[in-house]
Amino acid sequence: MTEIKDQETAKAGGQLVSAASAEVIIEFTQVNKWYGDFHVLKDIDLSVHKGERIVVCGPSGSGKSTLIRCMNHLEEHQSGSIVVDGITLNRNLKNIDHIRTEVGMVFQNFNLFPHLTILENLTLGPIWTRKMPKADAHDLAVKYLERVKIPEQADKFPGQLSGGQQQRVAIARSLCMNPKIMLFDEPTSALDPEMIKEVLEVMIELADTGMTMIVVTHEMGFAETVADRVLLMDQGQIVEENEPGEFFNNPQHERTKLFLSQIL
Amino acid sequence: MASIKKVPALSAAPPLSEVSVLGWMQKNLFSSVFNTLLTLVTLYIIYITVKGLWVWGIADAVWVADNRRECFEISTDGACWAGVIAWLDNIFYGRYPRQELWRVNLGIFFLFIWMTPLWLPRVKAKISIGMTTVFLYPFLGGYLFAGGEKGIFMQIMLTSAIVCLLANTIHSIIGIFSGRSLPEFISSLSGKKNVSDKTQRNIFLGFLALIFVLIFVWQMSWSLERVPWTKWGGLFLTLVIAGIGIASALPGGIILALGRRSRMPVIRVLSTTFIELFRSVPIITVLFMATTMFPLFMPQGFVLNKLVQVIIAVCLFNAAYMAETVRGGLQTIPLGQFEGAHTIGLGYWQTMGLIVMPQALKHMIPNIVGNFISLLKDTTLVSIIGLFDVLGMLRSISKDLPWLGLHKEPLVFGAILFFLICFAMSKYSRHLEVKLSTGHKN
Repeated sequence: MTEIKDQETAKAGGQLVSAASAEVIIEFTQVNKWYGDFHVLKDIDLSVHKGERIVVCGPSGSGKSTLIRCMNHLEEHQSGSIVVDGITLNRNLKNIDHIRTEVGMVFQNFNLFPHLTILENLTLGPIWTRKMPKADAHDLAVKYLERVKIPEQADKFPGQLSGGQQQRVAIARSLCMNPKIMLFDEPTSALDPEMIKEVLEVMIELADTGMTMIVVTHEMGFAETVADRVLLMDQGQIVEENEPGEFFNNPQHERTKLFLSQIL
Repeated sequence: MASIKKVPALSAAPPLSEVSVLGWMQKNLFSSVFNTLLTLVTLYIIYITVKGLWVWGIADAVWVADNRRECFEISTDGACWAGVIAWLDNIFYGRYPRQELWRVNLGIFFLFIWMTPLWLPRVKAKISIGMTTVFLYPFLGGYLFAGGEKGIFMQIMLTSAIVCLLANTIHSIIGIFSGRSLPEFISSLSGKKNVSDKTQRNIFLGFLALIFVLIFVWQMSWSLERVPWTKWGGLFLTLVIAGIGIASALPGGIILALGRRSRMPVIRVLSTTFIELFRSVPIITVLFMATTMFPLFMPQGFVLNKLVQVIIAVCLFNAAYMAETVRGGLQTIPLGQFEGAHTIGLGYWQTMGLIVMPQALKHMIPNIVGNFISLLKDTTLVSIIGLFDVLGMLRSISKDLPWLGLHKEPLVFGAILFFLICFAMSKYSRHLEVKLSTGHKN
């Protein structure tokens, strides 16, 4: 609660949330990644503080998805270092499994498990990776389903739900793991316009709880209201990085101006 | 002017041509001159085939006779089923000693009892039941069929199997009536409520241990007469080979398929080599290799019985085929499922066991059952290397003195037998597909 207040004051003061008091939870140093010959990430430097909400935008193919997929090692980087929650990501499988339980992720295509009910989707992680007793996992799942406002769907299968509902289940599934960081990879891109709102509402509520969030999205309204910082990526680089007010009203870089003119 | 429909249109009945029999026939059978002609020709062909079969197989057939000559005397152009009937026991059991046949029947009955709970909706813990069928039943069935002296290992496994069969049966009966599992039931007998999972399990295991000791002592006092494998035969032998093949092909295939997709080069290369090697060779070659070549490579005096060699060969061969089926199923699972599993921290085996395999296996049911059916039919090839399976038995009828030269009828009977078994399997696979696909569309 106090953390939110800190950030509010920091924002009011027109400062980036680089307050020395906030703990750095993700640190990218000179990260490079290639897909074959294609250089996706070029010398990325980035630090994310605890409780910070960051929106990453940019044209397709700019490397924004790859950037956040590196944060829980769904993608492997080839040089530089990535430190998440004090653990350096490398090929150590134990570290990776640990990081993945600390970092929740929501995908464009939900990636729910179609053969399990909504409730089973939610309890799977707590039961198998947190070794939680079944009854406790069940209570936890119900609690988060209520938070994303679909407790009545608990016994259905993902295929029976609308896209917006599925995405909310996906968010609840991640939250059941009690993560320190939430990554969102274009969470609303596969949704019909009327469903985007319900998902964004859940995300805004989540942001209000002080969760560290990194969101790849084209929803500029969301960026303006929720983000502490907005990044623009282009051709594998972070081109501009600023607080939303400045980013949208007074973009510094030509590329940002071009991007904003196309998207708004 | 904008027009707005205020009342939704009522649903009308479909036109008559869509629902009546005559309408259907007109649309599908007699829509043009050519189609009408085609229909009539087809009907005629069906008529003469069915009529021929009817006259030969049923109307003019001989059901009771002592030998083939007698058959001819009664009817010259009907089937002589009397020969098949006289040989029925041989067709089903081969040369298994007649006074010991109850052992085969009992073994099959136990298997039936063991597996029935898998089809009962109210019974819990189906996975454990399935696993014990694969890993424990073979000891019970195997000892019933083969008999002989029990080694200490066999005694332990046999006892475990009997304990498990008992527990299974009681568990299922309780399940049918109360929907509870056996551990829950036992701990509820103590009168306490809300027993934790762990105590429940401990009480249950304690019970099992007690029964184990009792049965172990009991089983020491008797043994069954040894029936050497050379006496096994007929449909019984076919089902033993195919059953073991089916039970081992799926796990073997899953392991090989995962190995082939492994990121570890050694495992990948070994799996791929194994799969490709076995898939590029006809099964009859594998059988000959196993029975005639394999002993040559073994040290002198190392004698493995032929049946075991054949079974191993069948298992390896079918595991290789199954591996490719499973790999095909694995490829239908989108990458997103793996990523979804990773993000909640599931490791490799958990991802495979909880997320990927359940979905992939469901997609693969038709192919898996197809493999099982061809496995069953392929086992008839063992008659070539001198085992008297069901085909071997059917063909020996024509060499039996009273029925000398009776070729056609036994083979027709065999065809019907195989059709019934295979058709049942494929029907069951359809049923499984429908049952498992409800509400899982994605």
